This record gives sequence, structure tokens and C-alpha cells, in this order.
Amino acid sequence: MEKLAYEKPMINKISAGVPDKFGLGANIKPVTHIDGVSITELIEKYGSPLYVLSEKTIRETYQKALNAFKTRYQKVQFAWSYKTNYLNAVCNIYHQEGSWAEVVSGFEYQKAITNGVPGNKIIFNGPDKSREDLTLAIKNESLIHIDHQDEFYDIQSIARELNKKARVAIRVNMDTGIFPKWVRFGFNLENGEAWAILNKIMTDDGFELIGLHTHIGTYIMDANAYGVAAAKLAQLAVRLEHKYNHHIKYIDMGGGFASKNTLKGAYLPGSDTCPSFDDYAEAIASALQHSDIKYDQMPMLILETGRALIDDAGFLAGTALANKRLPDGRRSLIIDIGVNLLFTSFWYEHLIAPAQMTPPYTEDTIIYGPLCMNIDVIREAIKFPVIEKGEHVVLSRIGAYNMTQWMQFITFRPKIVMIDTNGETHVVRENENHETMNALDRVPEHLKGFEL
Amino acid sequence: MTSKLSQHIKSDQFRLFIDSLLNSYSQIFFSTYKPFAILILLVTCIDFYTGIIGFLAVCVTSIGGFALNLDKTTVSKGLYGFNGLLVGLGLGMYYSLSWPLILIVILAGILTLFISVSLQGVIGKYHIPVLSIPFLLGIWIFTIATKHFDALGISERGIYTMNELYVIGGHSLVKMYEFFNAAEIPSFFKVYFISLSAILFQYNVMAGIILSIGLLLFSRIAFSLSLIGFLIAYTFYQSINADITLIEYSYIGFNYILTAIAIGGFFLIPSPRSYLSVGILVPLVAILSISLSTIFMQFGLAIYSLPFNMLVLLFLYVLKFRMSYSPKLAEVYQQHNSPELNLYTYINNQERYHFLNYIPIELPFMGVWKVSQGHDGEYTHQHNYRYAWDFVIEDNHDKQFDNQGDFVEDYHCFNKPVVACGNGVIEEVVDYVDDNAIGEVNLEHNWGNTVIIKHNPYVFSKVSHLKKDSIAVKKGDAVTLGQTIAKCGNSGRSPYPHLHFQLQSYPYIGSETLHHPISNFLMHKNGKQTLVNYQVPEQGDTISNAETNELLNKAFHFVPGQNLKFKVAGHKKFAEIEWQVNITPDNRTYLACPNSKSKAYFVSTDNLFYFTHFEGKKGSLLHHFYLGAFKVQKSFYAHHQVIDQIPLHQYFPKKYRWPLDFISPFVQLAKSRYKLNYQSIDDVFSPSKIELHSETSNLFVGKTLNKNNYIIKINTQGIDEFNVLQTSNPVSLKRT
Repeated sequence: MEKLAYEKPMINKISAGVPDKFGLGANIKPVTHIDGVSITELIEKYGSPLYVLSEKTIRETYQKALNAFKTRYQKVQFAWSYKTNYLNAVCNIYHQEGSWAEVVSGFEYQKAITNGVPGNKIIFNGPDKSREDLTLAIKNESLIHIDHQDEFYDIQSIARELNKKARVAIRVNMDTGIFPKWVRFGFNLENGEAWAILNKIMTDDGFELIGLHTHIGTYIMDANAYGVAAAKLAQLAVRLEHKYNHHIKYIDMGGGFASKNTLKGAYLPGSDTCPSFDDYAEAIASALQHSDIKYDQMPMLILETGRALIDDAGFLAGTALANKRLPDGRRSLIIDIGVNLLFTSFWYEHLIAPAQMTPPYTEDTIIYGPLCMNIDVIREAIKFPVIEKGEHVVLSRIGAYNMTQWMQFITFRPKIVMIDTNGETHVVRENENHETMNALDRVPEHLKGFEL
Repeated sequence: MTSKLSQHIKSDQFRLFIDSLLNSYSQIFFSTYKPFAILILLVTCIDFYTGIIGFLAVCVTSIGGFALNLDKTTVSKGLYGFNGLLVGLGLGMYYSLSWPLILIVILAGILTLFISVSLQGVIGKYHIPVLSIPFLLGIWIFTIATKHFDALGISERGIYTMNELYVIGGHSLVKMYEFFNAAEIPSFFKVYFISLSAILFQYNVMAGIILSIGLLLFSRIAFSLSLIGFLIAYTFYQSINADITLIEYSYIGFNYILTAIAIGGFFLIPSPRSYLSVGILVPLVAILSISLSTIFMQFGLAIYSLPFNMLVLLFLYVLKFRMSYSPKLAEVYQQHNSPELNLYTYINNQERYHFLNYIPIELPFMGVWKVSQGHDGEYTHQHNYRYAWDFVIEDNHDKQFDNQGDFVEDYHCFNKPVVACGNGVIEEVVDYVDDNAIGEVNLEHNWGNTVIIKHNPYVFSKVSHLKKDSIAVKKGDAVTLGQTIAKCGNSGRSPYPHLHFQLQSYPYIGSETLHHPISNFLMHKNGKQTLVNYQVPEQGDTISNAETNELLNKAFHFVPGQNLKFKVAGHKKFAEIEWQVNITPDNRTYLACPNSKSKAYFVSTDNLFYFTHFEGKKGSLLHHFYLGAFKVQKSFYAHHQVIDQIPLHQYFPKKYRWPLDFISPFVQLAKSRYKLNYQSIDDVFSPSKIELHSETSNLFVGKTLNKNNYIIKINTQGIDEFNVLQTSNPVSLKRT
């Protein structure tokens, strides 16, 4: 018989069986496999920590979202939000599923082009578009979503230079009854800014107004806000029709759909409180159906949701580095996953689970990352079972933003693997090493060499 | 003066007049084929003066027809004239040429015209033809009357035919005439030729041979029928021990020939059953001939074509009383005056236009749904309700619900919009039945919440088991295709949420279902989508509605009065061409090319453009366009293919077609196929360029004889380019 792990004696209040106001005591189920592939084996093969993506989950979530909209609205198009996760493998899955590309910088624009997305199926958002970016986008007939007046003038002059019409939409911000109001991007609807810029666009030969765009915020937990936004954009479209007899081709509702992650400070878990795709789809589709837009001129509905599509498909597997008892008696667990790899831990109470069977007893634990920084906390308080050094943990629902907003800090960024629909594993991004890190470094002559 | 005359000759009226003269000749054999008409005219002139008298009678009826302002089409088709011609020929043959005869013939022509018009008025409303009854009445009246006219001399020319021929064609013609009459041809053929010539009151082999050649040129089917009809009569006479070669029989032998052509291929679509009818009718005609001859002899009258007239009319009238339409023995509704044309058009219509029996009905939902129960389903779609569908939504794991499926909200289809499947008016609404809990059924209100839409007086659609309080329309509302009318629910006999959809002929809830296909939908299978037309989705099919492409819709939307101008490259004759979009008084739209005097008739609906008919010059650019854009579905799905059949006579090469004509009533060995590929589109939501590739090919027993390829390029202005890809002589049309 194997020797049992030693556990330091500790007096704990037994909470099992009797629910308190937070429900039953947390009982964390271990996550040993992802799509049938053992996590321990993955770590043995590819190292720790390790990002794991599930192609099956990506495709299924996408189809679920698409069907939610398509069964409620005639013309629906998704555009993959590159900033959420622009790994080429991930982007290509979405493109294979029929998604266009939504980019917010010249870098992302180039990435989409390199991935093979036709220029006219790239939506160019964001406040930072250089003249070079805009020139390329106009030449490629991409859909430019104008963010501010200065951009409008840039496009105006470039279009004149090129003698080519820019295909544009404007980003509109508005009051949809939620807080905070996102007003820093685009043109405000209520104060007339949006209408003013639309008038400028409509009377300028260098522009072809194709759509209207809004993005009301991020992690919006109230689906009705989208209904309000869609109704307001539809009204704007009708106003354009009245004044210019111009029919816009699409309404882009942006993204911001909540994933099932739990926000810090939330009273109930996100999986119970966040609206489903069906809820968002119902709000948006019925707002558009009930708008004054003529039935045969219904615009295409474009959605740029990123987080809600990819979050569930991403996992981060790591290893316990040490267990430590803090002076206040709390247990702390140090793992090799820090905030450098898990940017979203600043606002989510991430789901974390052991990757192997554990004893059933849990204890209030604080989980630290490996960085030599005080802020490197993954979970501040979680009922967690005992994990020994060298054993593994898995964080779920981390597919969004972590693979783009990650930091290279004091160590290398790890490998990313993808499990395909047949259960085969592929490395979709290699880990960094000294060579790649030093490749961009330049040391001036006089700084080369020293003696100590 | 001359210019005025030439202007007059070029005028439409003059053309109609000439048509009416020529057609009066060919109409004797139900034809409007000009070369045949000229041959018949020549044959009548074997007896020169008789020919002149006949021509006079035709002129009288034609002029009379136009002067009385009768229907120009009927007159120009020779439908009145041929009876006049026959009366004229009969009188001309009997009496010698004199001024009184000319007067008599003019009067006879006028009387025959009156009889034709009146008879048409009386029996035309039963949709049966007058055939040559006006001729019979006319000739009998005048034969009896003219016996008392001493001024008319009996013609002796018949006896001296040789003299006449000598005058016309000299020695060689006489020799040829003699050669044919004396030729050692089997008695069957000899009597056949003579009988044929007797239609024109002649009695010689040469005339018969010329007529049979004309008949062959006009129609292979008619020609073979004439032989078959005569053969049956010949055999029948032999079996009853009568001698058909006797003059009193052979002089009326054409009755069998005409009956065979009329029933076998002209008034009915040529088919095994029409040929069988000939086999039954011809012996009857023979019996009738003998009995009628006996009666008419008492009055010194010949029966001429009376037996043929009586039996054909009898039979056609009897067919009108059939209780249902029979495609195997079909009447000709649109007469093309050619058995071949009638047959090929009929076959093509059967293949192409079965959808015209139906109205455009699309699916009553948005997105992709699955048929959980189809027609003749195992659960409830039986007996009176057999032609119905149940639809549900399934996810990637073939599951209809999330979680355990214990609540209606778990089901993917619950609360999804239900849309109008076509334009119409709301006929009935039920919106008060509660949604069931999962597993329970409400047998009291079997159909649950229901909406019935009236699409036309005979077609209603019904959606049932809708969600309570979700119905967004009320009785009397007009709805358009795709408009949301309710939400999918779980009311009535519905253990779990699903959408019941059926078409019916009556406006009531509970009416029996009507078999009616879905006009246009996408079939999803193995990750691929196929566009399907006028089919019935089956159980297990995963389907969705197709979207119309605006650019295609615009490109194939031709407005009457519009002119399509093209620059032509690669054509020998034209550097420019202009097609006019026109419309006939009976609302048929067509493209007309003034250069080639061709017309291509088309139909353009919300989701379909197709050509129905082409008349004019084969091989002209408009003919190529007719072939290249034969049928275009106005939805763009990459690599989708539209396949259709072109009527054989519009495309199949004549040299191959002729031998096939003989057997085509029984078996179709040849096909003219059309294929359209949706090649490329530059942008999905605001496309500005679309390219279509089409291929037409002629197949004989599956083997390709020849083919043509076309490219149609479309931009925001409509059709921009049309390319005819021929290896020898590629032509391209560019819109200007």
C-alpha cells in the first residue's frame, strides 16, 4: 500500500451537509481529461504550464451561437474578434466555420490578410488606424468602422488620393440603460454626433456608407440592453432612409456577450447568471423585427462576439510548486501559473480544479502564482483540496484574451496545444526560449563585454 | 408608285395575307409548313385550271375573312381558307373553266367562309375543331344546285390530263407522269399514293408521291401515321374480303390517312395510346365509309371526307368527358401545328413545368431545422393528414434539448419564430391553448394554437402547436413571405415542442392535408448545402430556406420597354446588337432581336428566371442567350447547379433529329440538357460581380453529340457580359 500523503493537523469547521447562504459547501470535481486526453500526459509531453484548446468546443459553441441567431433572423454573419485570440489555428477554425474577421489594429489586419481572409470580409475597428492601414483597407474594400472625426478626415483625404470609395460604417455609442456607459469609442447618438457624421459621410463622394456599428460594452449581463441598442440603430437606419433614401446593408451589434466566468465580487456563479446566446439573440432579433425597417430591406446582422465563443474552449494546465501555511493560519498553494499567463484573473474568479483525484476534504486556500510579485494571486480564497508539490491543476474557461494579453515576465511563455475533433493533439504555438527572446535584443558595441 | 407598292408588300398586313393563302393549302394536312404548302399548290396545278380555280377560292375566303374583320390569326393560319380551297378544287375539277364558274366559285368561297365561321362559333365552344365539315356542306350544296345550271359545262379535262401536262411541262413531264402511273409499285403503295392525291380531287400516283414527300418534310410522325393508318385500312379491307383498290373505295382512302394523322399525332400528343386509338378508329372509319356511301349514293352525292370528320369529332368529344386528366393520352392544348413540336413541347413541359401546378411555398421558419416526421409518418401523419411535416431543431449531438429536456424551455425549437411560408391573408387564428408540460398531450384541442394562411382560393397553409400568446397576427391580416407570425410552442397534441406544418385545400382547422412541395429550400447534408426545388422534404432531412440574391434578381429583371444594348466582338455580321424587352397582350414577356427577327419568351418570378419558348433563327445571338440563360435561380450558392431540359426542337441538330422523330412517340433516345454553375461572387452581402457558367449539350442514348458553353457576367448594372465559347468562333457581348 502506498504511503498516504502527510497532512499537517488543522482544526476546521465542518460545513458539509448543511447549506449556508452560499449554498452547499464547495465540492471541487477534479478535471483529469480534456476531450478524452489526460492532462498529466499532456504536461509530461509538452511541459508545464501548458495552454490547451479544444477544437470541438470551439466549433460547437460557434454553431450554437450561430443557430441561436439564424433561427431568429434572416441574415446573420459572425466576424471573429481577433483580439480575443489571434492564434492562427484558432482564427482559421472560425473562418472555416464561415466567420469573417474583425480586427482593431494594423497588426491584426495583416494577420487576417495573411490567414487568407478576403479584404472585403475584414471589419476594421478601433481608434488606432494609421494612414497606411487605412490606405490598405480602402484598397482592399474592407469595412472600415470609423471611430472619430480625425479618422473621417484621414479617410476622406486618402479616398480622394486613391480616387476610390471607402466602404464604411460608423461606430455609435449610446445610452442603453446600463452602467457603465461606454462613450469613449465612436460617435454619440444622443447628443447628435452620430447623425452629424452620418450627414457628412452621406454627402461625401469618397464614402459608401454600408453599415452601422455599436459595441455597448463588455461582459454585459443584461440581454435587453442589446435590444435597446438594436432598436436605436434601426431607428438611425430608418432616419437615413427617410433623408437619403439610402439602405444600409448591415447592422453590427459588436460583441460583449458574457461568458460563463464569474466576475470578482459576483454573488452567484456566472454559469447561473449570465444570459445565453438565445437570450441575446432573442433581444436583438425581436428588436430588429419590430423596428420600422421595411421587411424586404432588413439589413444583415453582424456579430463580433469573441469572449463568449472562445472562453470555454481554453484551459491552462499547471503544476503545484509548493504548499505553505501563512501566519494567519490560511493555507496557500503556489502553482506555476501566474498572472502573466492569466491576465483575466484580475477580474474573474477563475475555475480551478485539481487534475487528479484528491481527498474529499477542502480547506480555505489562497492560490499564488510563481512570480516574485505581490500581486500574483490567482484565487484569493477558495475551498480547495490538498495538492502535493508536483501534482497538477487545471484552470478552465480561459480561452479569451489570455493568449493575446499574456506577458513575458521573468520566464518564457509556454506552448499552446490544440486537441482536434478526433482527439489528436497538435502544438499550435511553440514556447519561447533564450534564442527567441534574445533575437530581438540589440546590445550597443560599448556595452558588449564586461569584467566582474 | 413603286416605292408605295414595295412598302405595301413589306407591310405586316400583306405578309398576313400571303400567310393566309399558303397556310390554306398546308392546313389540309394540319400544317403551316410553307414548303409543304408550295408543294400542295403545285400538285393542285397538275390540272392547271383547277389549280387556278382553287387559288381563286382561297383568295376569296382570305379577302372575305380580312374584310369581315374576323380574327386575323385564325384567317392567316388558313383555318377558314382550306375549306374554301377544297370546295374550289372540287368545283374546278368538275366543271370546265368559264365566267359563270368563276362567279359560282366566288359565291361558294363566301358561303364556305360563312359556314366555317358559324360552325366554329357553334362547336368551337366545346373545344373541338370544325375540320372539313364546311367543305362538305359547301360542296354538297353546290353540287346539287349546279346540276341545274346549264351554263356550266362538265369538265372534260380530266380525260385529257396529258394534254394539260404537255402544255405545262412539255414532253418530259408527261413521260414522268406516265412513268409513275405505269410503274410497277406494290399495289399497297399505289393505292396509298392515289388516295393521298384524291384529297386534292386527283387520281394519280405522281401527285401522291409529291404529297407524301411534302408530308415527310413537314413531319416524320404525320408521314408514318399516314402509312400506318392506310395499312390498317388495307388489312381491314382484306380481312373482310373487300377490294380497296376499287375506285369507289380508293377515292375516299384519304379518310384513313387523315384520321390517323389527326388522332395519332395532331389533336392528341403522339404516344403509344394515340397510335392504338388510330388502330381502333380506322376500321370504324372504313365501316362508316361503306355505309355512308350507300346512303349518299341515293342522292347522287359523294361522301368525300365525311367518315373522317364524323369519327374524329366523335372521338375528340368523347375524350372531353374523361373524369381526370390522363398524361398517357393527352390532348394538345397549345397547338404548334406540328406533331413533332407538340410532342417535344409536351415532353419538355412535363419535365420542366410540373412546378407550375404549385404555388411558391417556402419553409415556415428561420435557420436550420430537421424534419422529425414527414409525409406518411409513423406517428400522426396518416390517412387524411398524411401530407404534413413536423419540424424540430437539433444540435450537433442530434439532441433537441439542453439539460435533461424536462422543461419546454430546454428545447431548441421552443419560442423560435414561426414565419409565413408565402404571401397571403390570415384565415384563422387560435391562441388560447396552454402549452403542455413535457410528455403530456392535449387531446381536446388536438392542433393547439394554430394559424391558417390563405394563399389563394385553393391553397391554405397551417402551422400548429404554437406557443400560447405568441401569435402576432390576427384574422384578416395580410402577411408576406418570411414575416414572423408566431413562436414555436408545445400546445395541443404535442408531447414535446415541435412545429407542425401542412398545406390544405380548405380553410378549416382539421381539414385534410394537400400534397404540395416546398418550392425552394436548402438541404444540409455532411456539411454541404444543396439547393432543392419543388420537392417534399423527407423525415430526417435537415433543411433551411434559401436566400434570394439581389444582384441576380436585378440582372434578370427585365422591364418591358427596356433595351439591352451590347457591343459584339467576334461576330461576322454585327458589331452591335440591341434586344428589346416586350410584352404580348396576354402578358407573356419576351426578348426580341430585330436583326434576326427572333423572339425568346421568358418568365421572371421572385426566385426564378426561365425561358419558355424561342421562335426565330436558330444559331442567332438571341438563340444563344436563350440557351445560355435557359433557367437561372436567383439565389447564389457557390457550386450550386441548375439542371434543366431544353425542348428537342429548339436545340437538337436536325440531321440527327429526323430519324428519331419516327420513334419519339414511343421512346426518347435524345435529350438536350442545360446545366448552370454558380461560379463566383465577389462579396456576399453587397455583391457587385457574379459569374455564371452554363453548358448546353445534346445527348443521344447518353452520348454527347455536341455542346455549347456560355459565361454570363453580372455587375451592379445587370447583365454585363455574355460570352459564347465556341472553339471555332467565340463571340462575346459586352453591355453598353
